[in-house]
Amino acid sequence: MVQYNFKKITVVPNGKDFVDIILSRTQRQTPTVVHKGYAISRLRQFYMRKVKYTQQNFHEKLSTIIDEFPRLDDIHPFYGDLLHVLYNKDHYKLALGQINTARNLISKIAKDYVKLLKYGDSLYRCKSLKVAALGRMCTVIKRIGPSLAYLEQIRQHMARLPSIDPNTRTILICGYPNVGKSSFMNKVTRADVDVQPYAFTTKSLFVGHTDYKYLRYQVIDTPGILDRPFEDRNIIEMCSITALAHLRAAVLFFLDISGSCGYTIAQQAALFHSIKSLFMNKPLIIVCNKTDLQPLDGLSEEDMKLVREMQAEAMKTVMGQGGEASNEEGVLLTMSTLTEDGVINVKNAACERLLNQRVELKMKSKKINDCLNRFHVAIPKPRDQKERPPCIPQAVLEAKAKEAAQKEKRKTEKDLEEENGGAGVYSASLRKKYILASDEWKEDVLPEILDGHNVYDFIDPDILLRLEELEREEGLRQAEEGDDEFEMDDDDLSPEEREALAAIRKKKSLLIQQHRIKKSTAESRPTVPRKFDKDREFTTKRMGRQLSRMGLDPSLAIGRARSKSRGRKRERSLDRGDNDGGEAMDMDVDRPKKMLRARSRSQSMARSRSTSRPPSEVVPGEGFKDSAQKVKAYKLAKKSVKKRNKDARRGEADRVIPTLKPKHLYSGKRSTGKTDRR
Amino acid sequence: MPQGDYIELHRKRHGYRHDYFEKKRKKEARQVHERSAKAQKALGIKGKMIAKKNYAEKALMKKTLAMHEESSTRRKVDEVQEGAIPAYLMDRENTTRAKVLSNTIKQKRKEKAGKWEVPLPKVRPVAEDEMFKVIRTGKRKTKQWKRMVTKCTFVGPGFTRKPPKYERFIRPSGLRFTKAHVTHPELKCTFNLDIIGVKKNPNGPMYTSLGVMTRGTIIEVNVSELGLVTPAGKVVWGKYAQVTNNPENDGCINAVLLV
Repeated sequence: MVQYNFKKITVVPNGKDFVDIILSRTQRQTPTVVHKGYAISRLRQFYMRKVKYTQQNFHEKLSTIIDEFPRLDDIHPFYGDLLHVLYNKDHYKLALGQINTARNLISKIAKDYVKLLKYGDSLYRCKSLKVAALGRMCTVIKRIGPSLAYLEQIRQHMARLPSIDPNTRTILICGYPNVGKSSFMNKVTRADVDVQPYAFTTKSLFVGHTDYKYLRYQVIDTPGILDRPFEDRNIIEMCSITALAHLRAAVLFFLDISGSCGYTIAQQAALFHSIKSLFMNKPLIIVCNKTDLQPLDGLSEEDMKLVREMQAEAMKTVMGQGGEASNEEGVLLTMSTLTEDGVINVKNAACERLLNQRVELKMKSKKINDCLNRFHVAIPKPRDQKERPPCIPQAVLEAKAKEAAQKEKRKTEKDLEEENGGAGVYSASLRKKYILASDEWKEDVLPEILDGHNVYDFIDPDILLRLEELEREEGLRQAEEGDDEFEMDDDDLSPEEREALAAIRKKKSLLIQQHRIKKSTAESRPTVPRKFDKDREFTTKRMGRQLSRMGLDPSLAIGRARSKSRGRKRERSLDRGDNDGGEAMDMDVDRPKKMLRARSRSQSMARSRSTSRPPSEVVPGEGFKDSAQKVKAYKLAKKSVKKRNKDARRGEADRVIPTLKPKHLYSGKRSTGKTDRR
Repeated sequence: MPQGDYIELHRKRHGYRHDYFEKKRKKEARQVHERSAKAQKALGIKGKMIAKKNYAEKALMKKTLAMHEESSTRRKVDEVQEGAIPAYLMDRENTTRAKVLSNTIKQKRKEKAGKWEVPLPKVRPVAEDEMFKVIRTGKRKTKQWKRMVTKCTFVGPGFTRKPPKYERFIRPSGLRFTKAHVTHPELKCTFNLDIIGVKKNPNGPMYTSLGVMTRGTIIEVNVSELGLVTPAGKVVWGKYAQVTNNPENDGCINAVLLV
């Protein structure tokens, strides 16, 4: 099914923008660097590409315009006529035709120039041909500028047309201006149409939706129609005429019986009769509006006669559809949109009649046979006069009654809130629904747990008392010690002691200095374990110096440290050649050569066999589930063995500035083939 | 009109936003600065486009300003000389009809005297190696007697090629033109006319005979569409025109009618 959505038409740029878009795209999406020295075929190809690419883009853009704008002949006649009324079919077609012509012209230009480019013999010539080609294409677009502007306006207007589905259930409201069509629309749907007390407030079709019997109905509000010849009608009126002519809908003809719209009932009746032909084969309802001002019964004789005439006409439409003649109430209805009297009646009647008509039509159509044979409603024939009501057991009935009695309204949290002072005052208890062994515990105070300890255990109830006590005690002590302060002074020291003190102070300050230096560069320093001894602090020499200063003999300690620092040498092992243990012990001296050879061969053979097996293959007994697991384990083992680089050596993650101009490659004379190695 | 006009509907019902006009005024005031910032920042072709647009605006503004100023400033009017005569008498007295020449004679003289008074009197000479491309032939591509014309040519409708083996000059069909955009200098309008033949190529008779059309070439065009009439009353159908562009660079022939 065709969707009538005119909102998705892409924007039509104006002539200048169009050219800018295309040219800048050509500039951005084709190569831009070309040199005189290139082979001529390459030059030609370079410029041909530009010309072709531009043409393709033009073609694409123009094609989207042509494809996306609806063709008036192909869409539903309602939309076709509406668009014709609003935009003038001839103008519309002419604009699209011009676009099509421009597209063809551009294609032709591109073809011609590509042909000429094949004979281009220099960069200059190719370039001028390209410039000429692009220029001519742009000129063509500039010429269709007015058409593009027109189409853009139409696009904007079409995007805002109401999305009316011409095939769905539709209720159409029509009548003279200012008779209350839009107010009815507002009452029945949520369309929110503008209602004003002057004529022609509604200037176009408006659509709203309403529900009846679980079905959705489309309600269309039309602008008012005046009673005048067809040719004199303006665009606004023609919109409603178009809708009346093409939509298969229930028509509500609104009649202002009070005459407050400025037109008498006679005038309205004249309009009714003049557009009578548009109501053919449609369920028609005459709605007498504004009964709050003038009830139907209080009409004068002539007016009543006119109304009756119209009713008779409307009855013909009922008869035309095979309805019974006696059904009069669905044809002439009264209502007042102000007091909302009868509004729902009108809606329901219209929906009902429309539904009936649609069902009837469907039943008459040929397609229904395809469906009808598929369903079957079984109505068993009564075999005797005996009544057979549905049988419900007594127990079930009782149970149901009981259930109904028991089932009282549950008290919700909202009810509780209402009872206890409303929102903001009442706060719901979150503990009410706790599931505990005893209901009394629900309101108990919860222990506060912090880091696995109950906070309450650490609260000393009489801490303040104790603090006071302590303070008092301290106050006393301070009062005692107030007079004799401790201070070190050099006066009562012997010269040796003074020296020692100076040395200690010096060392202390030294240590502080060292630490500060270390600390100041802590950010950029790599963390190196102490044992690597980056600063050569822990040498034996230094140790010796230190020890001797302390008056000890360092030679022994140094010797020991040295012996420790050297790694243990590998001892000669007995089972190096033959690692099958005890057997070798027995036959170390005179082993027969033959056996030795055989052994060696068997060893070599065994090795060759073992190497032929891939490392990931699972050997039973190894304890791996499959090869993937084995590979994983293998990798893990390798990784664990790998040592981490912690001695601040250069690694692959470090930033490296390589020697950009190695001197040995850039100095001295150069001859052929000497730039990369010398 | 349509249902989707929600902004207008809202304005109709509730009026403008309280800060609408303030915002609008500010936006407009800001626009100048934004435009200038953009113009200063734009590079390359975008920059050129903006500069061009701004220049056009400025020029237009200056023109209008000057126009307004002209109306307000007072200028001195040229003094009227003694014995001046009104304009409507000027032509009548001074004209002397010494000779009465018929129109046809005038035309003939004009043709004789200024036959080659053409819009482009001098053209750049085109060297032979620019005009022709040497085509190597023979099994070993050693023979070099064939030439291909690299400029646009006119080839008559009844032309048949010589057997390719003996053809000395190749006029590629891609470079053959049969139509020219001819401007009538007095009517100031341009027509797309058929070419009848090449009258003269200023670079040499050989080019003329080959039908090569370069800048300055005189071509004969079919002007029957224009409906020109000779003094005798016959319809002119062939007229000369001079090529004013480099057709091989532009892909089309522009010419000026010689009248």
